[in-house]
Amino acid sequence: MALLQIAEPGQSSAPHQRRFAVGIDLGTTNSLVATVRSGVAETLPDASGNHLLPSVVRYQPDHDPVVGIEAKSSSVDDPLNTIVSIKRLMGRGIEDLKSLGNRLPYKFAETESSVPRIATSAGHVSAVEVSAEILKSLKDRSEQTLGDELVGAVITVPAYFDDAQRQATKDAARLANINVLRLLNEPTAAAVAYGLDSGQEGVIAVYDLGGGTFDISILRLNKGVFEVLSTGGDSALGGDDFDHAIAEWIIPQIGLNKTELEPSQARLLLREACKAKEALAENEQVELNIELNENHRWFGLLTRDQFQQLVDPLIKKTLLACRRAIRDAGVDQADIVDVVMVGGSTRTLRVRELVGDFFKQQPLVSIDPDKVVAIGAAIQANSLAGNDPDGEMLLLDVIPLSLGIEIMGGLTEKIIHRNTPIPVSRAQEFTTYKDGQTAMAVHVVQGERELISDCRSLARFELRGFPPQVAGSARIRVTFQVDADGLLSVSAREETSGVEAHVEVKPSYGLNDAEIEKMLRDSMDYAKDDMLARSLREQQVEADRVIVALDAAMAEDADEMLEADERDAILKARDILLQTKQTSNDVQEIKQAVQAVERASASYVAKRMNASVQKTMAGHKVEEFTVEDENK
Amino acid sequence: MSVDLFNKSYFDIFNVPLSYDIDLNKVGEIYLKLQKSVHPDRYANSGDQEKRIAMQQTSLINQAFYTLKDPVSRAQYMLKLKGLDMDSETDTTMDAEFLMEQMEFRESIMEVQDKSDPLSELDSMLAVLGKKMDGLSKDFTNLFVNASYDAAREAVRKMQFIIKAKKEVNELSEKLEDELM
Repeated sequence: MALLQIAEPGQSSAPHQRRFAVGIDLGTTNSLVATVRSGVAETLPDASGNHLLPSVVRYQPDHDPVVGIEAKSSSVDDPLNTIVSIKRLMGRGIEDLKSLGNRLPYKFAETESSVPRIATSAGHVSAVEVSAEILKSLKDRSEQTLGDELVGAVITVPAYFDDAQRQATKDAARLANINVLRLLNEPTAAAVAYGLDSGQEGVIAVYDLGGGTFDISILRLNKGVFEVLSTGGDSALGGDDFDHAIAEWIIPQIGLNKTELEPSQARLLLREACKAKEALAENEQVELNIELNENHRWFGLLTRDQFQQLVDPLIKKTLLACRRAIRDAGVDQADIVDVVMVGGSTRTLRVRELVGDFFKQQPLVSIDPDKVVAIGAAIQANSLAGNDPDGEMLLLDVIPLSLGIEIMGGLTEKIIHRNTPIPVSRAQEFTTYKDGQTAMAVHVVQGERELISDCRSLARFELRGFPPQVAGSARIRVTFQVDADGLLSVSAREETSGVEAHVEVKPSYGLNDAEIEKMLRDSMDYAKDDMLARSLREQQVEADRVIVALDAAMAEDADEMLEADERDAILKARDILLQTKQTSNDVQEIKQAVQAVERASASYVAKRMNASVQKTMAGHKVEEFTVEDENK
Repeated sequence: MSVDLFNKSYFDIFNVPLSYDIDLNKVGEIYLKLQKSVHPDRYANSGDQEKRIAMQQTSLINQAFYTLKDPVSRAQYMLKLKGLDMDSETDTTMDAEFLMEQMEFRESIMEVQDKSDPLSELDSMLAVLGKKMDGLSKDFTNLFVNASYDAAREAVRKMQFIIKAKKEVNELSEKLEDELM
């Protein structure tokens, strides 16, 4: 076992201070926040003891938005200003609204932005802003409970979220003033909570059916490493669709047409449908008594058989995705030791039954399917915040959908294939097709289909400023980098001239930086002075962190790793930074001093990191996977 | 910036000999061990610089691992280390007999849907392709050891055909299975 470090009486124990970090499950129907306290990960309740925060935001004129239970209670009476299931609109464009159907009762504002805005009585709001309200509410809850400011949060997203949807989630966090430690895939989070709890090893499947999204992930668990082998799903399929199926079955029986429904009637129907669905978990049949108005009353019966007929096609869709994921993972069905059920919609008995039949085993429902994702995220947040320095846990995730670019003829050329582990980078070379050409346009898409029009457009960018040459002789190397959050960035360079081409990314469905800045400015919470004070303090903290880390590193190995002149240059930059930090109130000035230290120490840092890799490898030759010394 | 990892061959990164027959279990274990030391999550509290390097190193290790794990990309990479580029279209003449065989094979894939038990037909096709792949792997190993790189490249080209056919068979059986569900 690990030796405990005990401080002498009178001495302060350890310089290490606990850093509060949380895991946030930003769900379609409900959201949760969890943290690790005294070694236990648990979800945090609000003042009334409720752990689940309904993902509902109500807007009213001259009033701060209301989030949660109170907002939910107004969803039938005030449907146009009460926003539910906003997650379905994250990272979606105006065009997508059509394919999402006429199910959304909101009024959409005419806008020039590529991002749809909902017209409420308090003005136009985008999905990012609505989500930010939910995040703010959870942030407040955790800071009140923990009595301290948050270092950051791990926010979960459906594994099958594309780049635009992930980016929108990160933007919402930025708007809520939350430092995102990592975007974590929901099934991976669930696997962490489950795996650490059970100590299970081997291949497991996580079946995650939420309110509006479905994910399937196949993972291998091995000594604290959670390796995602494959993932699949549908980011527009969830328990909400069961409610819609029931509602659509009721509508003609009332003698109505779907298009004739008032928004509040549609909400009422959905609410009743949802209640009926939940009641069927206990009962063989439920009675429905629906009164839309004096002329449209309906009394009927929904049996389990009827319900199964309505939802089986939807559940089958999820099972097709499961089979594909197993195939992509390169494992046999028989290798799967456990199937973990996640998400409120796995409470539906029919889902459990069909999933059990498919995997030929009883799926696990022992951990609360509503809380398991937030708990896993909290464990990861705790580890990323540095509260668990000796922890062996590591999550290796994959990109859910292939990334490609448009080539001649409207076809897709895949650059990074789905289920490739992230982070990952790939370079691709392009050339010019006209003499003297100095710019080119690149269209980045995500998806598995051959035709560009069947894939999802992520961004269009232009490379500019490379020297004019004969057609075909320029060599423009474009590097696509996907980071550990699954987010794409692009850089480009003309190889023959060495010119860094300027990349201007126009996200197809995202908010651009200017829009986000504007929202930040407009946001009531951030008066300008507060903003400045905050960013100054953040920059000072960053400066401290850089100095502390550098001092610690140099105390360890500066003698063996650094030549005298390099060492002097680093120390000089360090001293300037220390002085600037103490005397300056200019954020930019401190930032530049930090960057100067980073430049001076660049090769030293690289050398150190490389040495750590060497050490890993050296360990191999000698002991070749013997059990490591446990008393370290 | 010179980080040694970036100047190493993928084989050196995983401490295995430059050979087609590598111990993939060993590579897999070293992969996990390397990930534990370079993954960006290990640098979540470090500066932007360390984070960036961690991301680059992890990207490289991922790339290296997936190149070695896949037989065809492993073979292509070995040839690349010997200065042979697979993409160059200088020498595209292929064994006529092999091409003929492939065309016939493709046709039989198309016809399989009319058979009474297409799924088991497809399974046996996969078995045939697997055997062919094994044969080509042996050929490649020998040719590479004997430094007959051009002939080794020919073997890799044939592997690519087999993989493509295998993919078609898999896609078709996936489609047929979907229809059955």
